[in-house]
Amino acid sequence: MNAPIIDPLQGDFPEVIEEYLEHGVMKCIAFNRRGTLLAAGCSDGNCIIWDFETRGIAKELRDKDCIAAITSVCWSKYGHRILVSAADKSLTLWDVVSGERLTRTTLQQTPLQARLNPGSSTPSLCLACPLSSAPMIVDLNTGSTTMLPVSIPDTGNGTVPQSRNKFSDGTPPFTPTAACFNKYGDLIYVGNSKGEILIIDHRTVQVQAMVPVSGSAVVKNIVFSRNGQYLLTNSNDRTIRIYENLLPFKDGLVALDDLDKTLNELDGVEKLKAVGSKCLTLFREFQDSITKMHWKAPCFSGDGEWVIGGSASKGEHKIYIWDRAGHLVKILEGPKEALIDLAWHPVHPIVVSVSLTGFVYIWAKDYTENWSAFAPDFKELEENEEYVEREDEFDLVPETEKVKESDVNEDDEVDILTLEKNSAFSDSDMSQEELCFLPAIPSPDVPERQDKCVESSSKLVDSNQSGSPLSEEAEPNGHTTNHASSPPEEDAGGSRMKRKRKPSEKGLELQAEKVRKPKSSGRLSKVKNKSVVDQDNGNGFHGDDVSD
Amino acid sequence: MASGTPYKPYRHLKTLTAHTRAVSCVKFSNDGTLLASASLDKTVIVWSSQTLSLVHRLVGHSDGVSDLAWSSDSHYICSASDDRTLRIWDARAAATESAHVKTLRGHSDFVFCVNFSPQSNLIVSGSFDETIRIWEVKTGRCLHAIRAHTMPVTSVHFNRDGSLIVSASHDGTCKIWDSSTATLLKTLIDDKVPAVSFAKFSPNGKFILVATLNDTLKLWNYSTGKFLKIYAGHVNRVYCITSTFSVTNGKYIVSGSEDRCVYLWDLQQKTMVQKLEGHSDTVISVTCHPTENKIASAGLDGDRTVRIWAQDS
Repeated sequence: MNAPIIDPLQGDFPEVIEEYLEHGVMKCIAFNRRGTLLAAGCSDGNCIIWDFETRGIAKELRDKDCIAAITSVCWSKYGHRILVSAADKSLTLWDVVSGERLTRTTLQQTPLQARLNPGSSTPSLCLACPLSSAPMIVDLNTGSTTMLPVSIPDTGNGTVPQSRNKFSDGTPPFTPTAACFNKYGDLIYVGNSKGEILIIDHRTVQVQAMVPVSGSAVVKNIVFSRNGQYLLTNSNDRTIRIYENLLPFKDGLVALDDLDKTLNELDGVEKLKAVGSKCLTLFREFQDSITKMHWKAPCFSGDGEWVIGGSASKGEHKIYIWDRAGHLVKILEGPKEALIDLAWHPVHPIVVSVSLTGFVYIWAKDYTENWSAFAPDFKELEENEEYVEREDEFDLVPETEKVKESDVNEDDEVDILTLEKNSAFSDSDMSQEELCFLPAIPSPDVPERQDKCVESSSKLVDSNQSGSPLSEEAEPNGHTTNHASSPPEEDAGGSRMKRKRKPSEKGLELQAEKVRKPKSSGRLSKVKNKSVVDQDNGNGFHGDDVSD
Repeated sequence: MASGTPYKPYRHLKTLTAHTRAVSCVKFSNDGTLLASASLDKTVIVWSSQTLSLVHRLVGHSDGVSDLAWSSDSHYICSASDDRTLRIWDARAAATESAHVKTLRGHSDFVFCVNFSPQSNLIVSGSFDETIRIWEVKTGRCLHAIRAHTMPVTSVHFNRDGSLIVSASHDGTCKIWDSSTATLLKTLIDDKVPAVSFAKFSPNGKFILVATLNDTLKLWNYSTGKFLKIYAGHVNRVYCITSTFSVTNGKYIVSGSEDRCVYLWDLQQKTMVQKLEGHSDTVISVTCHPTENKIASAGLDGDRTVRIWAQDS
């Protein structure tokens, strides 16, 4: 849904913190498919859904049975369901629109990560990666679990006994194993502690292929890009590796079966390796050779052009951005709090990071207005151009000073009804209704104002400048009232929440990084954008603007 | 027209008299069941589209109301008033007293125009204080206050996916803004004269219909920055008259006029196909029913009525 006048060159990568969201202590985040809603799991067991457009809370999923910290949050493909895994070993499936809890399953161990099957709009299967055993497929309706193989035995044809006490190669079962679905949910890619990627068909629980990761270090994360074309692994040897997915998207299983048949002369491990080499090829490796940093929560950008990884060092909040060719393009530095989760917006160049203190920072581009925006005939040039003047440009009475003819044929048909397809979501199945927004129901004003409304009265007029708890006040000449010292506003809605007033120390720290400078054009000096400082509400925070 | 069917003229169906001062705006709800009208008599009246009878009279503003907008689910109405506030009303409220939900404060002068975003989680408003404000519907918080123009803002509208806002002003400019960052993306028109009195996106969000106070309506392609069609023949020199697209039975542009008539033009041919007479003062606002071939129009102080026009079936 990119309007054609939004400069395409601006769609790169974020540069500064635009805002931070605050509500309780958030631990993990996930965008829905279109990036219009952001789900955040908190340390008190609640899951909050933020409306990313207004940066306000759209819904809260509270579970009285669960008070343990949430370890991961996952949306179903079209946004109707959310799966939440918590430290009390539970997996809870919620219906987003109604806010009802659908199922709750308790596992033997705390799942660190839980992912819904992306192949279905109402998935009942999910992939759970527990703290210290093999990843498993959980059927949310029946509660049954199926362990997945995490390594290939030296003999045998690839199936693994269902015991989960030890890995068959004898390594102690303490290292968490990373796993993820492929784009259509028919295959699972597991990264094990021996530094191998196993491609498993979860229906038959059979390993179909194996790809050894160079370095053989324990694989900590394994993630697909949004379009399913690239796979990322984060290993213990401090390297992020990008693989290209060679399998076709829709019929990965069929293709694997075909490969299996064609390589019939090989057996066992050799066969799996051969099949594996046809499924993934190593594309790039990223590492920081100077600081030899461990990476945390690496992922792709929405279009797969960029890769980000957070620094796993304590006490610093650094996000590295590489382009897919392997060049480091930017290091984003946030306030000195460890980073625990990271996500790139599916469509916009926006990155969201969660810090150890529970804040969610929103990183965006530093928006500068094009000079060409200020007048209809301004054009931006990339570099100096030779100007070739018209034949009669310097004549006293130029010939062409007559009526400027519009070069548009005014008799052409204009189509005001057909919509343009959005190419970023080309695979959306239009028969499925996608949940993009939760209905915004205005919360009623405090009752004292309501009884004044029966008859029109003049009392309302002078209350314009007195504190209204719910709307922002900005003086007419553009100065924004500095709310840092005014008393915290009470929330009139009642149903909302614990919004804390931020100590100004944090505010100052963030302000130091804010880069929203006033932009003035020569001609139209009054055309400026003002963002109103919103320090009352803990939810959103815009930096202070210098007034004119 | 490609279809070849002859044009069916609209006929006057009913006159609704309930306002005691000039009517400033009429709008059908998106589901077509209700019609709302705003007036300088400080009230907003909600009518049933079917029976054309009065359902609610929403009282509460302390000064005249200039504009109103429906939320996409047709549940809420937002009104913009000279008392510098906007009010959100629940259109389905059982009793008139409980209809008022929220008041949005922040503008420092008359609020002149208002619109909901298509997802209806945002409201955009334009005011005589030369600013555009974007409000969060749920809490009433003002998310952005944009110093947009150098004279009163006459019209604001979201595009189909809510990513852009078009604004028009007496300062002669028509500008397009990015709604999430509140930054200026494009200036469509930048002549000091004439004032731009109205601007609205087409249903597919690709074109903008712009009215200027020199008796002209133009349809612009905003990405190329060129206008494609001009519609003329009506009178528009003083008031910010709203116009709209009629798409239920062929494609037309409908507009009010200062010569007391409602004008209809064929969208492609630009020819005037009908002039609806009956009002006794300037027709300031027109609205088309989303599914039926019905038009509602509103007249200023010398008229004070809302008239309904329908095509013979």
